[in-house]
Amino acid sequence: MKNTLWKALGILLLAYVFAITFLVPLGPGLLEFQNVDRVISSSTENRSVPEYQLIGYGTHWDEEPDALQVFVKSKSQLAALEVIRVDDATHATIGLTLPYSLPAKSWNVLINHPVDGTLLLENGLFLSDRFIDAQATWPAPSFVEHPGNLGFHFPYQPRIIETIRNLMLHVPLWFTMFLLMGIGFVSSIKLLSNPRNELDDQRAEASVQVGLWFGVLGLLTGSLWARFTWGAWWVDDPQLNGALVTVLVYSGYMVLRQAVEDERLRSRLSAVYNLFAFVILVILLMVLPRFSESLHPGKGGNPGFNTYDLNSALRAVFYPAIVGWMLLGIWMYLVTLRMKRVNRQIELLP
Amino acid sequence: MMFILLQTNPLEGWFIGSGKAYVVVGVACVILIGMAWWLLRAENRLSRMEKLLNSKKNAPSD
Repeated sequence: MKNTLWKALGILLLAYVFAITFLVPLGPGLLEFQNVDRVISSSTENRSVPEYQLIGYGTHWDEEPDALQVFVKSKSQLAALEVIRVDDATHATIGLTLPYSLPAKSWNVLINHPVDGTLLLENGLFLSDRFIDAQATWPAPSFVEHPGNLGFHFPYQPRIIETIRNLMLHVPLWFTMFLLMGIGFVSSIKLLSNPRNELDDQRAEASVQVGLWFGVLGLLTGSLWARFTWGAWWVDDPQLNGALVTVLVYSGYMVLRQAVEDERLRSRLSAVYNLFAFVILVILLMVLPRFSESLHPGKGGNPGFNTYDLNSALRAVFYPAIVGWMLLGIWMYLVTLRMKRVNRQIELLP
Repeated sequence: MMFILLQTNPLEGWFIGSGKAYVVVGVACVILIGMAWWLLRAENRLSRMEKLLNSKKNAPSD
């Protein structure tokens, strides 16, 4: 009964994770603020102003279109822009009602909307044709951050956008690999302290075998994620290279086991190798990347999915995902171990 | 659909038309189905092996 319960728990957790991961909508965000090379008559100023198009992602500007407010901000200087019209839920035409003299060329674009709340597009506006005067100032318009009125949603992250859902797949796969390699490490220590215990050798082999699969899947999902967010399948990054080396080191463990015929020598040699492999895993994946600049979240100079990115909506799915994937990994490990034991028993039969 | 989006705005077309969310769904399904298939196959194979083992153990010795 107990044996079935935890498996059922694993399946239920993963079913919950997958349902929520792919059914919960992404929160709104700003994609682009682009000059459409046209001028438009401003209703607030008696002149023609350049026309810009503001493009949102998952926004609801067609609900209460009159309430949409657009601002640009550079350091402490804030300016309101004129919303000429809201074209649809994600498009609005904006008049660039800014003076000719500006304190900066690069501006953040901010919007306020009762449904979407306050959204920011960093460096969304770059004006190269204006006179730059660092002293230029004007009275700041009233601006109050709006909390928005949206239901349960995942946070919008620039560039990552919809692929944030991969967080529930890619990261737990690596965590499960760590767990399985940890089981292998403990089994190898136990084997070296008691070399006659054949079961520890089988445990170490089974855990590394299954852990390697999780490592390979972690690499593949990471590479795919990198392609969509960084634009390349692989980048020369300490975290990525460390992950690849770790998988190769553990592949070496499997090769070593095949290469040695004598059973006792094989189990002891591979146990020693496994200890070093685990130390390499810790150094390459947990220690070294923290001391070097990395594109990968959670590493040097680049905060991970922690206080900045992992909000309560993500946590509600991410933690069950870790437990669910780990239970699945343990299940696969136990099945592999049972197969090894039965195979061994069949071999030993007269 | 993708063509219309790409016509509207290349950047927006890439984000929405590329179906990034569907890529994640696809990869997740492939991984989960693969693992479930492996587990079922392994469990079946294991029960066959255990039966074989039991029958061999119970077989009368010559």
